[in-house]
Amino acid sequence: MIAGDLRVFLTVSAVMFCIGVYGILSRRNAIGVLLCLELMANAVNLNLVAFARFSTGTMGQVFTLFAIALTVAEVVVGMALVILLQRTHRDIRLDVAEEMRG
Amino acid sequence: MNAVELAALTVLAPLVVAVFLIVAAPVRRNGVLAPGLSVLGSLVSLVGAGALLLRQIFGLDPDLTVERQWLVAGGETVARVGITVDGTSAAMLAVVTFVAAMVQIFSLGYLSDEPEEDRGRYFTWQSLFLFSMLGLVVSPNLLQLFACWELVGLCSYLLIGYWWRKPSAAKAAVKAFWVTKFADMGLLIGLVLLYYHTGAFEWGPGAVEQLAAAGSDPEKTPWVLPSVAVAGLMFFAVMGKSAQFPLHVWLPDAMEGPTPVSALLHAATMVAAGVYLIVRAWPLFEAAPVVLNTMAIVGGLTALLAACMAIIQTDIKRVLAYSTASQLGYMIAALGAGSVLGGFFHLTTHAFFKALLFLSAGSVIHAVHTNELSEMGGLWKPMKLTALAFGVGAAALAGLPLMSGFTSKDLVLEGLYKAASAPQPVLWFPFLACLFTVGLTSFYMSRVFLRAFFGKSSRRAYRAHEGGWSMRVPMMLLAVPAVAAGWPVATFAQTTGLFEPHIGLLHFTPVGGIALGFSVVGFAVALMVHASGGSGGMVSALSPLGDLIRLSLVDRAYDLAYRQALNIAAGVGWFDRYMVDGVVNAIGALTLLLGRWSRHLQTGRVGDYVYAVVGGLVLLAAWSQMISWVVL
Amino acid sequence: MIGTLFLLALLSLVLLCSVQVARCPDLVHSVLWLAVTLLSTACVLVWLAAPFLAGIQIVLYTGGVITLMLFGVMLTHRDATAVVPNPIQRPAVALVAAVTLLAILLAAIWRTPELAPAAMSPQHEVTTLQIGQVLLAEQLLAFEVLSVLLLAAMVGAIVLSRRKDP
Repeated sequence: MIAGDLRVFLTVSAVMFCIGVYGILSRRNAIGVLLCLELMANAVNLNLVAFARFSTGTMGQVFTLFAIALTVAEVVVGMALVILLQRTHRDIRLDVAEEMRG
Repeated sequence: MNAVELAALTVLAPLVVAVFLIVAAPVRRNGVLAPGLSVLGSLVSLVGAGALLLRQIFGLDPDLTVERQWLVAGGETVARVGITVDGTSAAMLAVVTFVAAMVQIFSLGYLSDEPEEDRGRYFTWQSLFLFSMLGLVVSPNLLQLFACWELVGLCSYLLIGYWWRKPSAAKAAVKAFWVTKFADMGLLIGLVLLYYHTGAFEWGPGAVEQLAAAGSDPEKTPWVLPSVAVAGLMFFAVMGKSAQFPLHVWLPDAMEGPTPVSALLHAATMVAAGVYLIVRAWPLFEAAPVVLNTMAIVGGLTALLAACMAIIQTDIKRVLAYSTASQLGYMIAALGAGSVLGGFFHLTTHAFFKALLFLSAGSVIHAVHTNELSEMGGLWKPMKLTALAFGVGAAALAGLPLMSGFTSKDLVLEGLYKAASAPQPVLWFPFLACLFTVGLTSFYMSRVFLRAFFGKSSRRAYRAHEGGWSMRVPMMLLAVPAVAAGWPVATFAQTTGLFEPHIGLLHFTPVGGIALGFSVVGFAVALMVHASGGSGGMVSALSPLGDLIRLSLVDRAYDLAYRQALNIAAGVGWFDRYMVDGVVNAIGALTLLLGRWSRHLQTGRVGDYVYAVVGGLVLLAAWSQMISWVVL
Repeated sequence: MIGTLFLLALLSLVLLCSVQVARCPDLVHSVLWLAVTLLSTACVLVWLAAPFLAGIQIVLYTGGVITLMLFGVMLTHRDATAVVPNPIQRPAVALVAAVTLLAILLAAIWRTPELAPAAMSPQHEVTTLQIGQVLLAEQLLAFEVLSVLLLAAMVGAIVLSRRKDP
């Protein structure tokens, strides 16, 4: 019953996603924000795989594979940005970087 | 190789060279490689064109056209590009490639003192020009011809402005460009009109029929017949390209370019493109007798006026330039009288002897470093070969018997006479004008010849000497057809499909005899003037006439029109500045204001942006849910 | 029955670890909690009949990303203090936003009849062979584009984090 109910997995995924949203909104450390971003991406992957399990075809899992690769690329660039931030501002709290103020 | 492959080789060899020189800058800047490649390209073309012409003469190839799709719109081919090989194009190809090869070889010596980079540029444009001209010659339809027509105009602009640091050269280049572009609008509009009526860019009898049908449509009575409009507009472009009065004003100024350029573009080939267009699209012109009569009159007028102008020039190249305009007038007049053979044959012979004249004039200028006739004189001794070459060219131009110019001029005058006594009384004017111009031509050419090569030696003449082999050989080679091109007139007529039974070897008619009389009189007068101490008095006596023609009429009219255009432009400018710009500025100010206000949205803090993203996400999700609730 | 209990425990572990990632005051601890989250998610993936993806998840995320994160923390906090601060700002506002979103999502999930077990049931399992065949046949273009993207990300990361001195 639980194992056969798609909605359980979707709920877990949604909760994890919202935890990620909470983290992104509340964290001030850039790496902390990246961590929560990972959490959200993970929730999305879980969501995709759950749908793939409950429908036919291979595309769901292939799509997840692509999503994972994209997330990894995003982490790499994000990490480079964090290191750049550290070098230019001597701090990785996000509120120090506000040169883009209009 | 079959005929089409041969023609393709002929046309594309210069293109390959030009593109290579444009792309490969180091080669272009090399003073040996770039000219060498260019000359090689023109020689390949010459061999190809010669082979084509021989095969056409001996009837080995049928006339054929190979076309490829070019523009496709709505599943329908709008335009095609291709190659037409027949007697007409083969003859023209041979003339163009021969003169071009000679001119390029001559340029090797003529420009030997130029910086290597400039020389590379020169030869690049020369190759590009040769391709454009050959592409024009083999065009199977008007659209391809138009594209090449514009390309040769561009090359003309680039080559006139070769010494672009000189203000007069830059100005002359721009003037030539604008005057010919202005005229080219005629061809463009004519093309559009032709396409509108016939749905194609063809010039064959089918197009003529469709034009005639469009004109006779009782539903729509046009205020001018389509056939007349198309032919007339095309003739307007011809007037610009082939320097017919009153659009001839750019040609004398174009002499600012290097002399070989004048020889190739502004004497032998490019200016003759207009005449060639008429020969090619003859069915279209034939169907519009009004245009033909206009052509004859304009041609006769140009022949006469330009010859008058040539008399009073003191610059050797400007004499030749006006002479070119005058001879082009002959061709146009002959075509206007319906004598395609006369016009086209005169084009061919004129290309040879006028190129020869320009090259020998270039040789003189190279030796004495001036264009002024008064500073030449006595050049016979140091420059016998150049003097001989110039003499041959002048004799051919003046129409001495056995020379090429004699035969072709005879054909022109004969055609005009026949048409005038057909009877078309309106054609008596061009006939008489052309006949009289024979005398004028003989007079001014004799004057230039005597003035430059005989008489008292000028200071500059002592230091003058012949150029190198690259300048002597082309002159010698060009002298051959300048003399002999008139002999095989029957073969020419047969090959180009314009044969008339009465043409035999060494064509001669009574009209030609009268012309010869004029020619002799002109020479005698020139000799008398020369013997009586130079032509200075003659020039000053005739110069008011020249002023009248040049300043009072044409240039002043242009000046006036130009000022009027400026006044209108000023009005338009005011409207643009205060009305159009006002609206634009108001919009700009508004945008600025909005931006100044909305920039505060950008706090620059990442956290705020994340809030915005999440807020957007929440709104989006809520909205989609609301929709589903409403639907459910 | 035991399987169901196990699944429930696994899902609870995922969520608990997620919460720890989001609220833990020490950054290094956050990273380690994330590692546990990802590992337990990999277990859920196995449960969902996606063993290949679970493997990828472990290799790429727990192996690559977590290592990268730890490197990042160490590179940016070189002083040898034990605790790397990971401060929290305006938690209430963030909580409201997150809960709002969650409410909407949950409503969407549980109110949609197409997602109920009556309509959706586990289908046949997808084998790794099938995934490989799809990747290298139907989706070859996307696969190649993805490799270009990864290359671009790599170059971008190098350019961004390179020292400016020549």
